[in-house]
Amino acid sequence: MSKIVFSTWRDEFIDNRGKSSEELSESAFKLPEAYHGDRDSKAFIGWDGVAIFDEDIDAVELASQYAAQYQQYSEACGRCAPGRWGGRILYDLLDKIARGEGSHEDIVHLKEISQTMMMTSKCEIGKTVPKPILDLMEHYKDQFDDAINYQKPSKHYRGDTSYIAKVTAPCTDMCPSHVDIPAYIEGVRDMLFGDSLAATRQTMPLAHTCGRVCPHPCEDACRRANLDAPISIMELKRMGADYETDHGLPWHHPYTPKPLRNDGKKVAIIGAGPAGLTAAYYLALEGVKVDIFEELPVLGGEVAVGVPEYRMPIDKYNKDIELVTSLEAVDVYSNHRVNAERLKEIDAEYDATLLAFGTRLSKKVYAHNENQKMGGYWGAIAMLDQVNLWNKYKIGEPASNQLKDKVVVCVGGGFTSMDVVRCSIREGARKVIMLYRRDEKTIIRNTTYEEYHEAVEEGVEFIFHSAVEEIFDDGEKITKLKVNRFELVPDPNGGRAELVKIEGGDFEIECDYLIPAVSQAADLQLLPEEWNIELTSWNTLLTNGKDYMTSRPGLFAAGDCEYGPMTIVNAVGQAKRAASVISRYIYEGKTSLTDNEIMEDHLAKLKVYDKNEKITGWMPGLPRAVSEKLGVDERKTNNKEVNLGFSGEEAIAEAERCMRCYYISMVAV
Amino acid sequence: MNAHNFIDKNKKITVTINGKTCHSTFGKTILQIARENDIYIPTMCYLTKVLPIGSCRMCMVKVDGVDGFILSCQEKATDGAVIYTQTDTLYKERQNIMKLYGVNHPLECGVCDKSGECDLQNKTTEFDIKEQNFTARDQARPVENWGHVSYDPSLCIMCEKCVRVSTEITGDEALQVKFGGYSSSIINVKKEKNYASLGEAAAVCPVGALVSTNFKYTSNAWELDKIPSSCPHCGGGCQMYYEVKRDKIYRVTNNYEFTSMCGAARFGFDYANQGVAKDAKAFEAAVKAFENAGSILFSSMISNEEAFILQKLKEKHGCKLISHEARAYQKFMQSYSRISGKNLYNGTLKALSESKGIIVLGSKINDDAPIVKYHINMASKWHRARVAYLHPIEDTEIKNIVTQFIKYEAGSEEGVAALLAEVLLQEAELPESIRSFLNDLDIGNLSAECNVGEEELFALKQSLSKKSGFSLVVGADLYAHPRAAHIAKIIALFEKYADFNVLCIPPAGNAMGVSLICELDDTIEGPTVGYNVLADFTLSALGGGDLDMPAMNQQEGTLTTFDKRVVPMHVALPYGGYVLNDIANALGLKAAYTIDYTKELPQSKGFKGIEFDRLPDSFDLVGNENRGYLLQSTEIKTDEMLEEVLDIEEFDGAVVYCCNAAEQFSPFTAKCDLLDNKTALWGSQQFAMVAKLQEGDRISFTIDGVCFSRMFKIDTSMKGTIALNPTFDMGLSSALLSSYRFSRLEFERVGRS
Repeated sequence: MSKIVFSTWRDEFIDNRGKSSEELSESAFKLPEAYHGDRDSKAFIGWDGVAIFDEDIDAVELASQYAAQYQQYSEACGRCAPGRWGGRILYDLLDKIARGEGSHEDIVHLKEISQTMMMTSKCEIGKTVPKPILDLMEHYKDQFDDAINYQKPSKHYRGDTSYIAKVTAPCTDMCPSHVDIPAYIEGVRDMLFGDSLAATRQTMPLAHTCGRVCPHPCEDACRRANLDAPISIMELKRMGADYETDHGLPWHHPYTPKPLRNDGKKVAIIGAGPAGLTAAYYLALEGVKVDIFEELPVLGGEVAVGVPEYRMPIDKYNKDIELVTSLEAVDVYSNHRVNAERLKEIDAEYDATLLAFGTRLSKKVYAHNENQKMGGYWGAIAMLDQVNLWNKYKIGEPASNQLKDKVVVCVGGGFTSMDVVRCSIREGARKVIMLYRRDEKTIIRNTTYEEYHEAVEEGVEFIFHSAVEEIFDDGEKITKLKVNRFELVPDPNGGRAELVKIEGGDFEIECDYLIPAVSQAADLQLLPEEWNIELTSWNTLLTNGKDYMTSRPGLFAAGDCEYGPMTIVNAVGQAKRAASVISRYIYEGKTSLTDNEIMEDHLAKLKVYDKNEKITGWMPGLPRAVSEKLGVDERKTNNKEVNLGFSGEEAIAEAERCMRCYYISMVAV
Repeated sequence: MNAHNFIDKNKKITVTINGKTCHSTFGKTILQIARENDIYIPTMCYLTKVLPIGSCRMCMVKVDGVDGFILSCQEKATDGAVIYTQTDTLYKERQNIMKLYGVNHPLECGVCDKSGECDLQNKTTEFDIKEQNFTARDQARPVENWGHVSYDPSLCIMCEKCVRVSTEITGDEALQVKFGGYSSSIINVKKEKNYASLGEAAAVCPVGALVSTNFKYTSNAWELDKIPSSCPHCGGGCQMYYEVKRDKIYRVTNNYEFTSMCGAARFGFDYANQGVAKDAKAFEAAVKAFENAGSILFSSMISNEEAFILQKLKEKHGCKLISHEARAYQKFMQSYSRISGKNLYNGTLKALSESKGIIVLGSKINDDAPIVKYHINMASKWHRARVAYLHPIEDTEIKNIVTQFIKYEAGSEEGVAALLAEVLLQEAELPESIRSFLNDLDIGNLSAECNVGEEELFALKQSLSKKSGFSLVVGADLYAHPRAAHIAKIIALFEKYADFNVLCIPPAGNAMGVSLICELDDTIEGPTVGYNVLADFTLSALGGGDLDMPAMNQQEGTLTTFDKRVVPMHVALPYGGYVLNDIANALGLKAAYTIDYTKELPQSKGFKGIEFDRLPDSFDLVGNENRGYLLQSTEIKTDEMLEEVLDIEEFDGAVVYCCNAAEQFSPFTAKCDLLDNKTALWGSQQFAMVAKLQEGDRISFTIDGVCFSRMFKIDTSMKGTIALNPTFDMGLSSALLSSYRFSRLEFERVGRS
């Protein structure tokens, strides 16, 4: 049962004051009515309106506290005349009224300054802060009038209500790592590339990596898309990282790393991939001793041995890795495979352990006669390991020893399969075919437009709506495949279209290699059976998705081994949160979330981005920047980085398109 | 290749502003197009020479079909846009912004330096702000003295222009915004350095917040006469105004909206030779000395017209003309021309600032030519330019700009130039003889001789791959190099065959003008007359010679800049004595004024026959420079012969490099009170060990007959075995230095302090 009293959130108008229980309206939005645990919210106020959950709310103080939060948070903004002075005046006047010294003239001035802020401020924070304040002044006018007419403090002035605020932005909210995107874009706009990088690294240590190979979910929540096209958010991240590397500058940490605590507390991390590195980074910045155990001879996890050089040059990724390993508190043990016995030792020795070992088992394609030991059957993970270990580290042998002049069939549809086919081209395969169950549109959605088109340009043959039914071999190696074809049959009732096998549509492909890249699974051999660790239905480690502790106290999990095969940025986001929880757990013996994290989760639930919102105050029709890429003949026989990145001019023009959609949200508890 | 060129700057667009049809090109902002069409839009934070800041919000306009206001300084105009710059709502919001700027702004205009030329004052009246209905609690904010400039946060309106100049233009990166909303302020994060380049940041301050410390509280702005001129110190010829009252220069300002200048230009103005009266006896002696002179020695602190007079005297009397630095540069450029086919290099500062890749060779650019460094910085900030800095000494001051430092052995410049050509001209279409010159180079040996790794060169090539728009900047280390003539030819290959924007920075003052105007000689003969150089008979604008001469800010005339522009200088301070033209007239030339020669400067070298008084001196509304005129490059017969690269002379042990500190160029800057004129032989710990010197040792050594007595000091930011030896403090001897800038240090110990 909703207990909403009043709301103007996102143009929804609810006023349940004085209504009987039958007349009560409910909100369509997931507003934070309960704050955390058994703490209830009295009100939620933000960029899009205000929602009151407690009849006894002090609206005047709520308004003045919201303005105060703007003051406090204006370090993020405060860079335009109306926002800077306007915000101050807003607070001074509201507090004057709240403490019982206001006049009706102040209300007039409040409205006037609000108007100027909304019309002329540089970023959304200045444009939106007045909105809920004006709502309160209108709909809780009696409280304002009382405070003025009787020259008395508002009803709970300086009482025991806590106000918990958080600044966010639609892109930041959508990013699994919650990167302060407007800040790093502003760094590019101001040509303060070091500041840009430091802003990224507040929540994202892998700036080179996620400036190159992130599937950028943020861009789906970019308000600029409501106007013309989203900002090229991902590529702008690379500017700061490249700047630091190009100029050989000292590390731009988000803050000076704290000295090693040396208090006997230490944390073990299993796996030096994106999740492991991220957790290590944020723990080490806080001075917590961290030891990373990595099975492979090289650091970096799947980004190192999975993502090919032409997408993610290893010298750039190594910079991201070095950023972490250069910290005093971090020690790394590579070539160190952790099995159940070893994990028990680690668990006993360390105050907390984070599992971040990813998903490194290639799943089967489930065809007849599928024999993973058969010659020519090559799991994507193993194949990419060989390609990358040789190309990046000269470990092992070149995959061209196997693939040169051969016919390669890959079954997939995601990033891994794209890496398989494009690497196969580069290793000299004669013919490379990708079989995919669904259509072109879906493969683009699963990966990126660029990735798909570049693969096509390089000569990969895509066969859509197809699946392997049977694998043929000559006893030593695969010879050919029997492939079924499907068609999408629309549901007459308007439901999701169904894939239906086309009778008589089968065909055969003669091939030398079948590389399944359908998905990966977690290798759970290291979990001691007696721990009875709870797993998800798809056999990954179960946590509550908030504190990332497994069913065993002190044992945490983040990244693909928790979520299943997902993105780098997802792994980073989870690991950042896990590191924060661990940093408290090792002292308190229990998990807890900070107010900032609680608010982060509330906002993710509420959803910050509104795709129907109409944008005002920006010139539509300014094109999104597209960076220069190597031509197909310049790239398909080598491992040169395909994406040359933005020129300075492109980057700055793109940064100028950013509308700085910062918002303040605040809960009264 | 992907179509990545997302802003097609060739696309023609038409927009309507306030009913006026305006034709322009895509990529320009609404404000730029408005200004091109002389349509006024008010701004408080807009500064033409940097990218849009967007902090003041005054420039908002209304666009048909678009909700809300559009920030005209930043938003690019789209084809067909119908724009209004003045509406009632806009006026009201602009009024409110001006009121906000006025909240707690101290009402101390009466004593504020900016009064009379203050944007806040002007816009407050323009927008008819008669009352203030906004208030906020005031805050105590102390004034800070940062050396050359002082900052008063309570006057600051946080427009951020100064920060942008410090970032985008000068590259000192000393100024930052300290975020804090209402209590935001500008902070100087490099207070210990006292950058004179901060004068450039102060220049753009629209209010009295950032001011020249020295000028503060000395004069009302409106009492000063602005004398337009050009800075003579380094060859940049930067636009400037001397601001003068009662025969005293109070300060130097500039057209900061469009152009910049370095700290020497801004703070190095008090070098005039004042209090001089006509000394007829000395004058007669001077005329006699000229009549008997076998050689005339002169420095590069000379106007084009004076250089022309000397050339005329040479023609008339057959004396030799000696100006060492200009002569070396002249020979270098003559050799350069044999490859390029033009008497001038093709490079410009504008093209430099638009480069995507820049190579600097043979110049300590930050000290030799700050304004060139500014343009490299602009390229770095605006175009992410790769900047390769090739020099025997690393310069930590420009680490934020340089992407690759390649250290080479002193003396190996010829080899380095050859290596660069070999690596970077591989894809160029070259004549057979040049291709075989490159093919025949013994790369392994050269690389070892120069101590430049092949992998460094490969990395350099890699960093320039897939990019066009390259610049090559070379400097004074090359001109007096024993192999200068051949180095010049190799450098010219980049202009001729690889489309590089090449700038050969003149070694001093007006060396470029001198090198074009005078037929210079190599060896001194007979009795000597010196003009700002110590000689048998010395004419000196520094005082202390046999006959006084006016300093550059006491004369009319023109300078030739390294942007290949002939720019005018005007008289800032009066001069009571004789000038060179008087002597020339006594010797049979005939001209009422020195500037009568302006129109006679040699057209064969690219000068134009324009009279001095007809030289323009302005910028247009969007910042196009219209000062003086550009030299016209003339055709030169080519000769594509290249020679073998010679082994270098070994430079082991302790080496000194003649190099002035930032903002010091000559005995004239040395005279200026506001510039730092500390001198010492600065070297690293390693140098101290090799030279067996300790901090505080006083030593003496001789270069080209000029005897230096220097205190040795250790600079912990330096590395290697090369020490820096300034020359600006050597008075009338300075111009005698003629040899390669690096030399082995052979010294006598004089004492300790």
